[in-house]
Amino acid sequence: MKYSFFPGCSLESTARDFGMSVHAVAKALAIELEEIPDWTCCGSTPAHATDAVLAAALPARNLLAAEKAGRDVVVCCASCYGRLASANYELAKDEKLRSEVASIIGQEYSGGLKVRHLLEVLIKDVGTSEIRDLVVRPLKGLKVACYYGCLLTRPPELSIADEPEDPRLMEELLEAVGAETIEWPYKTECCGASFSITRVETVKRLCSEILKMADESGANCIAVACPLCQTNLDLRQLDIEEKFNLPVFYFTQLLGLALGLSNEKLGIGKLMTDPTKVLQFC
Amino acid sequence: MSSRIIENKVDIDYLQKLDPSGEFRLTACLQCARCSSGCTMREETDFLPHQLNRMAILGLEKELMGSKAIWMCVSCQTCFSRCPMQVNTPAMIDKLRGMALDAPGELKRVKIFNDVMLSSIKRFGRTYDFMLMAIYKLRSGDLFTDLTKLPAMLRKGKFNLFPPRTAGRKSVRGIFNRVFGRREQR
Repeated sequence: MKYSFFPGCSLESTARDFGMSVHAVAKALAIELEEIPDWTCCGSTPAHATDAVLAAALPARNLLAAEKAGRDVVVCCASCYGRLASANYELAKDEKLRSEVASIIGQEYSGGLKVRHLLEVLIKDVGTSEIRDLVVRPLKGLKVACYYGCLLTRPPELSIADEPEDPRLMEELLEAVGAETIEWPYKTECCGASFSITRVETVKRLCSEILKMADESGANCIAVACPLCQTNLDLRQLDIEEKFNLPVFYFTQLLGLALGLSNEKLGIGKLMTDPTKVLQFC
Repeated sequence: MSSRIIENKVDIDYLQKLDPSGEFRLTACLQCARCSSGCTMREETDFLPHQLNRMAILGLEKELMGSKAIWMCVSCQTCFSRCPMQVNTPAMIDKLRGMALDAPGELKRVKIFNDVMLSSIKRFGRTYDFMLMAIYKLRSGDLFTDLTKLPAMLRKGKFNLFPPRTAGRKSVRGIFNRVFGRREQR
């Protein structure tokens, strides 16, 4: 299986561990992720909060670069996914925007590619039974709160899950590798990531509510699929008065552990909240 | 403002200016407030999504531009996702942010952050967190928040000291120049 891959800026900086674990897991599952040549930033929230044409043109530049290969585009960061998928959707249906963007980037992109998140690719293209067969270290003792945040399931047209208010992709994947997943009501609440630099008090309030709910629902760790959620929930545990001690893993790190990959390859040591205690049972 | 809401006159001219192609579907709003009941920022903001929609329909431009709400929106898309009429409030808020010259009070930081991040993308083609944070801190005056986390992040390799090298930065610069060149003409 071969895909065009859009890593996004954070997988090479604040979410380096996400990037490491994505590549390690892809290799173990024989998924080829070919980086989009010369990719550039999707613009994230600052672009769409400033200008609608800029917000479509920055992703379109990358999608055009991927068009030659003609393969589905795989994205891991939820914010990048939101921007690329949204531009893809808007450009396909809005002729005016399409021609405006074409005149900005010098070439027309018609929205013909599929933009997908790695989690969805793992479930739909690889399949949980295939993955189950490769498990060498079942994740026994892990009680995982699967956290999706905002942009993987919203708006519904761009949702990676068929049921946007109650996605189950991460649950299916992690249960297939032996972990227990918990039922909890905050899996698609927002952690306030776009304010993580500018309004720390807001982010602390939102993160503390999410962590508290995960804790009270019986989780001993959290799994995320977004670099911004991870940084927020992991790093802000240091700031919140109430102490939770809930390690916040990327779903790829947990999958990688089950596939027998080393902590080093998966960047487990880069987590701020120490996961050793939680991992000692499996 | 409440007296002007009671007058209940749709301001067609303002709607034309805010949403010329009608894609935000503001006039479809039923004021059911389902958007507002799930709003991530409902506890902190001055106006809720359904109120912003109403203000836009009535052409209360000054109140919208001066509201904290347009800068407090976290862009989580909950309101739009749950709207039974597909009113695209987040897209309207984005448009309003693009039209408002400045954010009120402490919320100026949001605008400063957006500008600083965009200039990083324009210069390097990708975000360069180290420089972005340094310039943001100087411009916002918010020097010390999260500074204690820097050593651990550097140690764990989560913060690059050197800028990204992207061949595509020139074409990204061209995109920025053309988009903002046109904005000035408008």
